[in-house]
Amino acid sequence: MVMRLHVGSISDYIVKVENLKVYFTKSGIFSKKYIVKALDNVTLSIKEKEVMGVVGESGSGKTTLGRVTIGLQKPTAGNIYIRVDKREINVNKAKLKDISKYVQMIYQDPYSSIDPIMRVYDVLAMPLKYKKEIDIDRKIEEAMRLVDLPLELLENRVYQLSGGQRQRLSIARAIVVNPKYIVADEPTTMLDASLKGEILKIIKDARESKGFSFMFITHELPIAKIISDRIAVLYLGKVVELGSSNEIIKNPLHPYTQGLIEVYPRIDPSLRDKMKEIKIKVDIVRPERGCVFYPRCPFAMPKCKEQEPELKEISPGHYVACWLY
Amino acid sequence: MLLEVRNLKVYFYTKRGIVKAVDDVNLYLDKGEIIGLAGESGSGKSTIGYAIMRLVPFPGKIEGGEILFKGENILKLDEETFRKNYRWKKIAMVFQGSMSGFTPVFKIRDQIIEVLRIHGWTGDYDKRVEELFKMVNMDPQLAEKYPHELSGGQKQRAFIAMALALNPEILIADEPTTALDVMVQEHILNLLKKLREELNLSIIFITHDLALLSEISDRDYMLYAGKVMESGPSEVIFKKPRHPYTSLLVESIATLNKDIIKGIPGSMPDLSNPPVGCRFNTRCPFARDICFKEEPKMKAFSDGDEVACWLY
Repeated sequence: MVMRLHVGSISDYIVKVENLKVYFTKSGIFSKKYIVKALDNVTLSIKEKEVMGVVGESGSGKTTLGRVTIGLQKPTAGNIYIRVDKREINVNKAKLKDISKYVQMIYQDPYSSIDPIMRVYDVLAMPLKYKKEIDIDRKIEEAMRLVDLPLELLENRVYQLSGGQRQRLSIARAIVVNPKYIVADEPTTMLDASLKGEILKIIKDARESKGFSFMFITHELPIAKIISDRIAVLYLGKVVELGSSNEIIKNPLHPYTQGLIEVYPRIDPSLRDKMKEIKIKVDIVRPERGCVFYPRCPFAMPKCKEQEPELKEISPGHYVACWLY
Repeated sequence: MLLEVRNLKVYFYTKRGIVKAVDDVNLYLDKGEIIGLAGESGSGKSTIGYAIMRLVPFPGKIEGGEILFKGENILKLDEETFRKNYRWKKIAMVFQGSMSGFTPVFKIRDQIIEVLRIHGWTGDYDKRVEELFKMVNMDPQLAEKYPHELSGGQKQRAFIAMALALNPEILIADEPTTALDVMVQEHILNLLKKLREELNLSIIFITHDLALLSEISDRDYMLYAGKVMESGPSEVIFKKPRHPYTSLLVESIATLNKDIIKGIPGSMPDLSNPPVGCRFNTRCPFARDICFKEEPKMKAFSDGDEVACWLY
């Protein structure tokens, strides 16, 4: 294994992961034990006030990456650092309750991630009380205002809220403790299209006014493009491409990213009588060695089967792991 | 006209009151046509699908209207006749989340054969399963697998194969691509287009994903709070929509060439106590006095578009 600490590691980072590996051992009663590499050698960092979009298909390891960075999942190998007030905290070694003041998470499903019979006020007060904060009411009011929820709702029970209101509450719960870094795990996926725009706006506004850094996990590339400054494309536990959102969308380098962008639905009824050409094979195959993507890649070469490509900087800030470059 | 739905009303009798999930909906489907039923969650789009299958779940009831299949009102038939002659034979449905609709303890092949047997299919079962798998672009060998051995996209295709088992004329696909990755979504879309071509199948595509819908449907019905707000050819619906609801919804679709998406503030009204007048009045930026007093009637335009809105 080659150490490649320079990739994406910049001095003004808030979160930094280095050579991160998360392996799960799977075994059934009858089947042999085998190892699933949920994340393999991932190195990236998130700057202050930055929104890093993490996109990938199901099984790409994006949720695992988010969980590892806030200490909810122990990595098999590798380090995660969070920088708070010029101190560097090693997430691996820190206790969850010591870092939960600085890191928070927003979950995908606003129905199952908040206790439905709690009062809205208590949902927001609990994390503050737990951290022995003062000025609780003022902080709660501020959070409610940031997510655009009327203060009258504070006395309501969570089950009385609509889906969109619950997701706002879930964001308010994350920002009320004034963290440094928030992992948003598919916060718009369960919502109707009509609500997605508002949730994205709230996250953008919160970043502007409070200076949070975000990891925004999504499988929807257009959503990632709208919300993030940079995008990391994950495929089977590997970062295959990393760059600014505009670069990734306008000038995708990895065949996987190119394929994704090509097939993405556009609002175009004139396409309806045609079959869409899909160059990439649909079924995910996990190769034993070589590039993770070669079984589906339209450009696969003999080299791809044998050797794994490293992330390489092609233009400033734009990295790709592919033997074509 | 293959299928016509006239003034359909489906109400749910809940403890909180009568929820008017589908209220006076009209639609039609021609042979070989793909129509879209689109709207937010709670708009009644799935309920319409269930009503056509006569499978509205408790405590829902079809309270009025007609569903005509080739001119015959299938709501008038007794359950046994409908089950024998129509359900799955003429009209089949791919349910929402049908990927988990297979029982885990039997092979896919046996589950499809069960459908054939119960509906009295005469012919070689194994040959039919092989035929069906080829139809949905799958290796017939996969029929020997158990559901958990297949990927999400494969299970979805296998379920489509099961829906096609008895050669139906209409396929109702309720969110057939939700929860699948985008590559797989596009494959399912291609597959449905191919089936329409090869079998002259008519498809009712129910979805909340408008970008996807725009790539497959000939005509669309935009539903809101149990009512059709606008219906028309896809060119009109997606390029020059007239109803404020349609245009706001189209604007809120995230696509790769957008830098910002708008939403529709507010949420759907409580359907046990729907607002007087137009049901969209609580969220409509153009709402005027009349919108809160009287319900707008459908108005037809020369391009085939029909709109229920006081702006026109």
